Amino acid sequence: MIDVSAHLGHYAFRRLRHNTAAGLVRLMDRFGISRAVVASAASITYRNPQSGNEEVASEVEAQRSRLIPFAVLSPVYAGWEDDLKICSEQFGMRGVRLYPGWHNFKLSDPRCRDLVNAAAARGMVVSIPVRVEDRRQQGWLVDIPDVDPDEIAGLIRACPKARFIVQNAGGLSGSALGRKDGGLPENYAVDLGRLSVEFGNEIGRLLTVLGEDRLLFGTGIPFHYPGPALVKLEMLRAPDAVKEKIRSKNAERWLGLAGG
Amino acid sequence: MGVLGPGLISRRSFNAALGGAGAALRGFGRQSGKVKVIDAHSHLSHHSSPRWAERDRQLIDAADALGIDQLICSILGPRRPAVPEDFRQSNDWVAEAARRYPGRILGYCFVNPGYAKEAREEIARCIEKLGFVGIKLYNDYLASEPVVWPVVEQAIQLRVPILHHAGHTYWLSPPQPRISDGGTFAELARRYPEAIIICAHIAGGGDWEWTVKALRNAPNVCIDISGSVVDEGTVEMAVRIMGADRVLFGCDMSMTASVGRIRSADISETDRAKILSGNIERILARRRA
Repeated sequence: MIDVSAHLGHYAFRRLRHNTAAGLVRLMDRFGISRAVVASAASITYRNPQSGNEEVASEVEAQRSRLIPFAVLSPVYAGWEDDLKICSEQFGMRGVRLYPGWHNFKLSDPRCRDLVNAAAARGMVVSIPVRVEDRRQQGWLVDIPDVDPDEIAGLIRACPKARFIVQNAGGLSGSALGRKDGGLPENYAVDLGRLSVEFGNEIGRLLTVLGEDRLLFGTGIPFHYPGPALVKLEMLRAPDAVKEKIRSKNAERWLGLAGG
Repeated sequence: MGVLGPGLISRRSFNAALGGAGAALRGFGRQSGKVKVIDAHSHLSHHSSPRWAERDRQLIDAADALGIDQLICSILGPRRPAVPEDFRQSNDWVAEAARRYPGRILGYCFVNPGYAKEAREEIARCIEKLGFVGIKLYNDYLASEPVVWPVVEQAIQLRVPILHHAGHTYWLSPPQPRISDGGTFAELARRYPEAIIICAHIAGGGDWEWTVKALRNAPNVCIDISGSVVDEGTVEMAVRIMGADRVLFGCDMSMTASVGRIRSADISETDRAKILSGNIERILARRRA
């Protein structure tokens, strides 16, 4: 089982447990998760996100077989081109995570497209978490809305050569991302962490719209409990072969991992 | 496993994947008959929706699939504030559902305390005649306002709990100017130490760390763990600060989130069993005592 939505390090507004590489792997072992894509939780609020990438690079070193590091970068912070090069070539990071609301840029900003295209040229996946925390949870210092799915759709349309993961999203059926007639290239996948299955069955509907190759397993650990995503997969009415794709095969292919 | 199709992770394999935490989860669910599961915070669909019957069926199907034995339900109407005609009708629909799904649905009597006489009569009707097991209050008033006190006194007299809507947020309060939070319930609990108050949906009511801390010294206030937010550590903190005896399993319609939350929580199996049903059964037994 491959989790495409994990994190490492400290988060500014709540103490996380299991947030070291060793701790996260222990948690993964308890829940049968073999590998996880991780990026810096601290970089969500660091002004200079590269500091968090350095922390993650050092932290995952002993767990390379289990943890797949992504960089957190901002296209409006000085030196992202250098940081991208370092993250790719020195740290072996396989993707980039973007937090437009937290880092004060728009996905429609030309500098964002430049970053995405530069990452794509290096074969890196671009992951966009729609939400870090539910807005009801957010403390008095921040009020960051979810990323608008239509803005993500615009970026996907503008960067057809990139590969995207839309992370921790819900309610996609109303946007181009979740419609057959959305007019988008098939260069994005969605993790199931916040999609409904018991009422409305958004996961089932996305399987119909996107096909069985573009849904991924993601929990949000250690921000989130791993159980809810596992229960969604358990409840999903789909053949074994499709579930196996969601559990790991699609992520292997999307991330370019051996076996995919 | 009812609605579960072929190719699912079986509960056994899922629990096996949980390793140590899973060991005690074997038996979670109605099929095994080992650990009863009661959803202490659920809702049926308001009949203004043309799909209400289908939605209620989906609720039961989901409960079947997830091993939830009983759901304690209310219906809140779309009109705010609720008027007596509305809450009487909602409660009648809950009673009908309890008959439609015998043994699966229990009722909370929903009232607006602002209609003192009507609320009092409705609570008496629902608890004494229809067999409802508790009272549901929403955000018509803060729980600590004097207008709510007669309802609390009636709940004490009838020996039933009050499930009260709650939230502690920093940005989203204007739409619910009279939403109660843990501090409100602690204040009410000091005034009425004999009352049993359930602070609703810790995982859907904003800053859950604040809520748990606010309730530390309010021994007659429980929390239910329902809600869509799946923050790791929520249940563990509630158990550590409030004690496992005051934590109740609930979903508030976020069923995969809540089942996943309690399955994942790093707590003892004794505490998990208390949360899944033991605590709410103890509370409901007060009425029968």
